[in-house]
Amino acid sequence: MEKDELKEKIFAFMQKYKGKKKLKERDIMKGVSEEAGVTPDEVKKAMREMIDVGRLMYSYGGGASSVEIPSEEYLKEKGLL
Amino acid sequence: MKKHVTPLLDELEKGPWPSFVTEIKKAAKTSEMANDELGQVEYSFKTKKGYWKHGGIVGVLGYGAGVIGRYSDLPDMFPGVTFFHTVRLNQPSGWYYTTKALREIMTIWDKYGSGLTNMHGSTGDLVLLGTNTESLEPMFAEYSSRGWDLGGSGSALRTPSCCLGPSRCEWSNYDTMEACYNVTQEFQDELHRPAFNYKFKIKFAGCACDCVAASARADCSVIGTWKGPILIDQAAVKEHEKQGMNITAEIINMCPTQCMSYDGKELKIDNAECNRCMHCIAKMHKALKPSGERGATILLGSKAPIVVGSLLSWVVVPFIKMEAPFTEFKDLIRKIWEWWDENSKPRERIGELIEVKGMRPLLEAIGQPPVPQQVKEPRKDPFFFFKPEDFEKVFTKDKY
Amino acid sequence: MALPKRQTDIGPPHFKQFLPPVIQKNYGKWKGHDILTPGLMVHVAQSGDKIWTVRVASPRILATETIYEMCDLADKYCGGYIRFTSRNNVEFLVSDEKNVAPLQNDLKAKGYTMGGIGPRISNVVHTQGWVHCHGAATDASGLVKAMMDEFYDYFTTKELPNKVRLAVACCVNMCGAVHCSDIALVAVHTKVPPVDDERVGKICEIPTVIASCPTSAIRPNPAKKSITINEEKCMYCGNCFTVCPAIDIKSPEGDGVAIVVGGKVGSLRSNPKFSRLAAPFFYNDPPRWPKIVKAVKTILETYAKDARKHERVGEWIDRIGWESFFKKTGLEFTFQHIDDFTFMRDTMRTASTFKW
Repeated sequence: MEKDELKEKIFAFMQKYKGKKKLKERDIMKGVSEEAGVTPDEVKKAMREMIDVGRLMYSYGGGASSVEIPSEEYLKEKGLL
Repeated sequence: MKKHVTPLLDELEKGPWPSFVTEIKKAAKTSEMANDELGQVEYSFKTKKGYWKHGGIVGVLGYGAGVIGRYSDLPDMFPGVTFFHTVRLNQPSGWYYTTKALREIMTIWDKYGSGLTNMHGSTGDLVLLGTNTESLEPMFAEYSSRGWDLGGSGSALRTPSCCLGPSRCEWSNYDTMEACYNVTQEFQDELHRPAFNYKFKIKFAGCACDCVAASARADCSVIGTWKGPILIDQAAVKEHEKQGMNITAEIINMCPTQCMSYDGKELKIDNAECNRCMHCIAKMHKALKPSGERGATILLGSKAPIVVGSLLSWVVVPFIKMEAPFTEFKDLIRKIWEWWDENSKPRERIGELIEVKGMRPLLEAIGQPPVPQQVKEPRKDPFFFFKPEDFEKVFTKDKY
Repeated sequence: MALPKRQTDIGPPHFKQFLPPVIQKNYGKWKGHDILTPGLMVHVAQSGDKIWTVRVASPRILATETIYEMCDLADKYCGGYIRFTSRNNVEFLVSDEKNVAPLQNDLKAKGYTMGGIGPRISNVVHTQGWVHCHGAATDASGLVKAMMDEFYDYFTTKELPNKVRLAVACCVNMCGAVHCSDIALVAVHTKVPPVDDERVGKICEIPTVIASCPTSAIRPNPAKKSITINEEKCMYCGNCFTVCPAIDIKSPEGDGVAIVVGGKVGSLRSNPKFSRLAAPFFYNDPPRWPKIVKAVKTILETYAKDARKHERVGEWIDRIGWESFFKKTGLEFTFQHIDDFTFMRDTMRTASTFKW
């Protein structure tokens, strides 16, 4: 699978859970690799690239870290919007 | 700038011990943030309650650690601390600085933050206390371009720390400073991008004196030790005695294994019975020193009381060589993480997981045999698991 | 001005560039040390080289202004080298003996406190408290200041049987080695937290909240999309608040401070030990918490008088027994002292061989 296609799958996966469940890196790696038939490591690499450009972001809440779709506020602050 | 009236905090500027209130006031002379921090702390002292919220912001672009989001619950009263995030800078091993480097760090902090610091935080980082969200990216550019990176936070590897080891101490059994630096560099990804189920701390202590509290405050405690006999300088023993030490009362009688004797002429140690506790060496530091093979004991699991009680670390690997590039240690850490990652629930520390699953699966996962050095005593009740392979490998009919 | 280019994953700078030349030269080749005064020690290398360390107290919270001043002193007397200890002290590293006395005089003139080395009280390990923590049940810096004003002489001059490690944690999360300190304060909650049902439903994950409770006191409340707390089971640990801010356990009336004693981390003579409960509760009484300071002072002075040389607080109590500890200190023994959490079976007495 092309990396760009995988990134879209990751983003769709994130949207599915948005506001319902806080996802950790591992949840995303596991969930998307099963859905897309790729290795968890490939998912991790693609996800990291998305985080590096602000398409996804790390967050902290409920005593643990998670990965989320960035808020507008975050994108503005990072000069990405 | 609004001047806060702070009668309760002013009281804590009296007395001889250095005052944190004086420090906040110093920063408040030029920083609106520090000024409103002073106001909010006074309000807490008056009402006996804290007014901080946390969460959200966790780092600079690409990182999920190093910044702890902090917001005032009372932004209308104290607008200067509406945002008051913590930034953790990864400290150098042993907390050594040149004044040039330290000044540079502080100058950048004055530009972007409250001017308040913790030297240092509980985990070991240089903590910068209080900045707003817009400052994070430019500040990170300034620090990282000058060679300083962020430390750990959240569900990540936390900034490793170490005692000053061989840099100024005669007892260190391995190079704690280099081990800390090298291991921190190796695991930069795990430090900056939270991928674990919860936090993981590593602390490097050079000997059983444990000046970094590794045994109590690190998921992985690396405590230096040795295998050879304790070397004795009999003339120096006499010297300690001459300086007023009661060798029988202070050394012989306090030896936990009773492996020492002294007849007024010669100090003797039955090294086979010694458990290397460091008492005699620390007290008779001129006369006694360890010798022979050096390395460390690896212990796992210590943590504070949340959730079901505090833990001290448990011996897992009785002896490991700790020499650069620390390959054996790094491989061990990777195996521990893999097992923890596969088996733990959210927010479950390694010690809690071992308690739930038992020590056997962990030892099998990291390839360590069971040895008596791992336990204080064997189990007391006759309930135990058997696996089929135990009968093939251990309890064979020719032996049992 | 344009910002410099950011770098990622560079880690900390290598420590070698921050070591004084005499340390670089004698790295790993130290022979021994002598404590010359409570605030001064000298380390001697196999080569015969020496380095003097002047230890100074800090309140951990430091303004940059103070750090600049420390840097000036380190420039003047230490060739521009300075370090900090694991207990928040500052150490001035002097390579030339003739700079020691002038440095000490200058520090004294500027109001710095030297001490903390050897068998005495070193600096207090502590947490953020009301200064910066979201969950604090007390203020840590305030308690430290109040205690250390009282115990100042035990840092600067007076000797004790051994080191006494003090610590303060502003809640049971204990971001410090409180659970293994000689004498420590830990802030506790004492009231079942109120549940803001509307906010719980909005901002918290119910299963996570339920799983966070160590005593299984939390049950779902489907009607309100929230949770309920069984008041008989709740031990006020606040872990639910950590995962769900809508269960705000902080309470000006209910929050206070406990004293725990007898812990240690080193293995000298005896293995590392957990601290045990000495006093379950004092009301928050800022700015100086006088009743707590008084109780700690009683424990400290009883230990100072009663312990044998080199015994840590926990080793002294192990020798005399806890019943003697309560008798000698006059601290009241209450139901809270008897463990009814997870480790009760390890803490009850199983013989009649106690002291009256």
